[in-house]
Amino acid sequence: MARIYVIDDDEQLLKMVGLMLERGGHAVTLFSNPVEGLERVKEDKPDLLVLDVMMPNLSGHDVARDIRETDGVENLPILVLTARSQEIDRTTAIQSGADDYMSKPVTSQELMERVDKLLTQKGGHMSPEQGLVITVFGLRGGTGRTTVAVNLAAALRRVSQHEVCLVDLSPSGGQAVMHMRLQTRSSWLDLPEVHEMNWDGLKDRLIIHPSGLRVLSAPVKPQPPDALSGEKTNKMLDLLRRHMAFTVVDAPGVLTPSFIASVTAAEMSIHLLTPEVVAVQTAVKLNRVLVKQGIKVKRKTHILNQVTPEAQLPATAVERGLNNRVAFSIGFDPNQSRAMAQGVPLTLTSAKTALPTITRRMAEAIWQRVAADN
Amino acid sequence: MAGSFGTRALINLDLFTDAYRVTGKAKVGAGGIHAELANPNTKYLDIQEAYISRIHAPGDIIASYKTAAFRKDNINFILLQDRREGIAVGTAHGRSIFTRGRPIPVFITVPSFEIEGEVIHEGKPSVREIIVQSVGNFQSVFDAKASASQRPDVSYSGDLILVHKDRIGVFCLDTHKK
Repeated sequence: MARIYVIDDDEQLLKMVGLMLERGGHAVTLFSNPVEGLERVKEDKPDLLVLDVMMPNLSGHDVARDIRETDGVENLPILVLTARSQEIDRTTAIQSGADDYMSKPVTSQELMERVDKLLTQKGGHMSPEQGLVITVFGLRGGTGRTTVAVNLAAALRRVSQHEVCLVDLSPSGGQAVMHMRLQTRSSWLDLPEVHEMNWDGLKDRLIIHPSGLRVLSAPVKPQPPDALSGEKTNKMLDLLRRHMAFTVVDAPGVLTPSFIASVTAAEMSIHLLTPEVVAVQTAVKLNRVLVKQGIKVKRKTHILNQVTPEAQLPATAVERGLNNRVAFSIGFDPNQSRAMAQGVPLTLTSAKTALPTITRRMAEAIWQRVAADN
Repeated sequence: MAGSFGTRALINLDLFTDAYRVTGKAKVGAGGIHAELANPNTKYLDIQEAYISRIHAPGDIIASYKTAAFRKDNINFILLQDRREGIAVGTAHGRSIFTRGRPIPVFITVPSFEIEGEVIHEGKPSVREIIVQSVGNFQSVFDAKASASQRPDVSYSGDLILVHKDRIGVFCLDTHKK
């Protein structure tokens, strides 16, 4: 999350840009008066400034020049956003000290991409050398696997402000897009064969959520379990690892080739289960199968997700059954069903209930680990 | 966009005189900006939120005003990013929707600027025909680019440029291109 100041005399546009940035996970402060905005920028030293050009009393060019000449904020990333759309306007904006330029109107996606680029370029934000693949898995249905994967991906996007992709590997008609009210334009089923697969082709199949999170959707119609081969999954994850800071995989709920590939390829895995006897038994059996098949799961974490108001087992009993520690316990969150119906992941709201609180904490822990490794 | 009949909308435009570039908004009705320019009741075009630049430093804003009025006969050309904002509702290319026409590449000069683009014309492609048949005092040039004569590195492009017919110095047609 970055602190972004926006200066624009058009109050409607100001609010709209503010909303776009807030949905992208930033803390936004808005100014319709450029003189006041400039003073506050100098005092508060935000992480980035989005600046209009055509403003009464003080133009955006004057604001940018003043900032570049002021100690303490001279390196502040400035994105100019203006209705003047000619090449000469771009040149003038850059000459006056802006780092980047966009002509109005802008889409949320374009704005977030430019903001992220500037924050990464100039803000000195930590960027993992190579992306991290995190697979969320569990064979027992109804454990809220997709919910956790969606919320974790959204939280990682917010915390890191880097490129994050959510991959829904379910062969039985994906749910991830429904959690985010997105439409499946294309899915992993449309990917070409392994030898023809490249980043440009894969990138075109990613759907972009207004928060900036990218999604590789599952096909709308149910597919046979082997519709996605292990080889294809590996290639896809390899490409994503090279271009995304984080790839969160919602693994299939059955032992398919893509399940094994995604669990094997991941640098970090989250084994999700609910606090009930059958779920623990399934988890134990799955752990045994993975060991028996020689599948190495790196950095595996067990996470307990309570999807009903009453927990059948306490966390200590689950840990005993698993013979393993439970890293995080997500309590029952009554808001989740409403969030899913509305298509807004809870981590993108200001909700402070169990699910968003724990997934944010998980994302922060992952991000801190990556930052420490770098 | 000019909007439907009976409503008035604000459209963004860049307006060029001999010495200035002005970016602002004009209020137009169903007749689009053409109707405002052709309005015989006033010699001025009202612009809201006018930001003024000198023609030799067209990126720098030297003054801004909430409202401004420009003498129509001093305007060399007006640049719009969306052609629908320049033409009347119910017309195509500023002419009747029943007129098909074909695009003809043109090169036009006005003081300080050279303008390249296409005019849409049906019938014999001659300058006289085109100017006579087009509506009002301003000639529509589509997919247009205006370059400053003294500084060819500075150019402005837009979906539509409305060129003041009285300010035209040279009007060339390329009748061979299809």
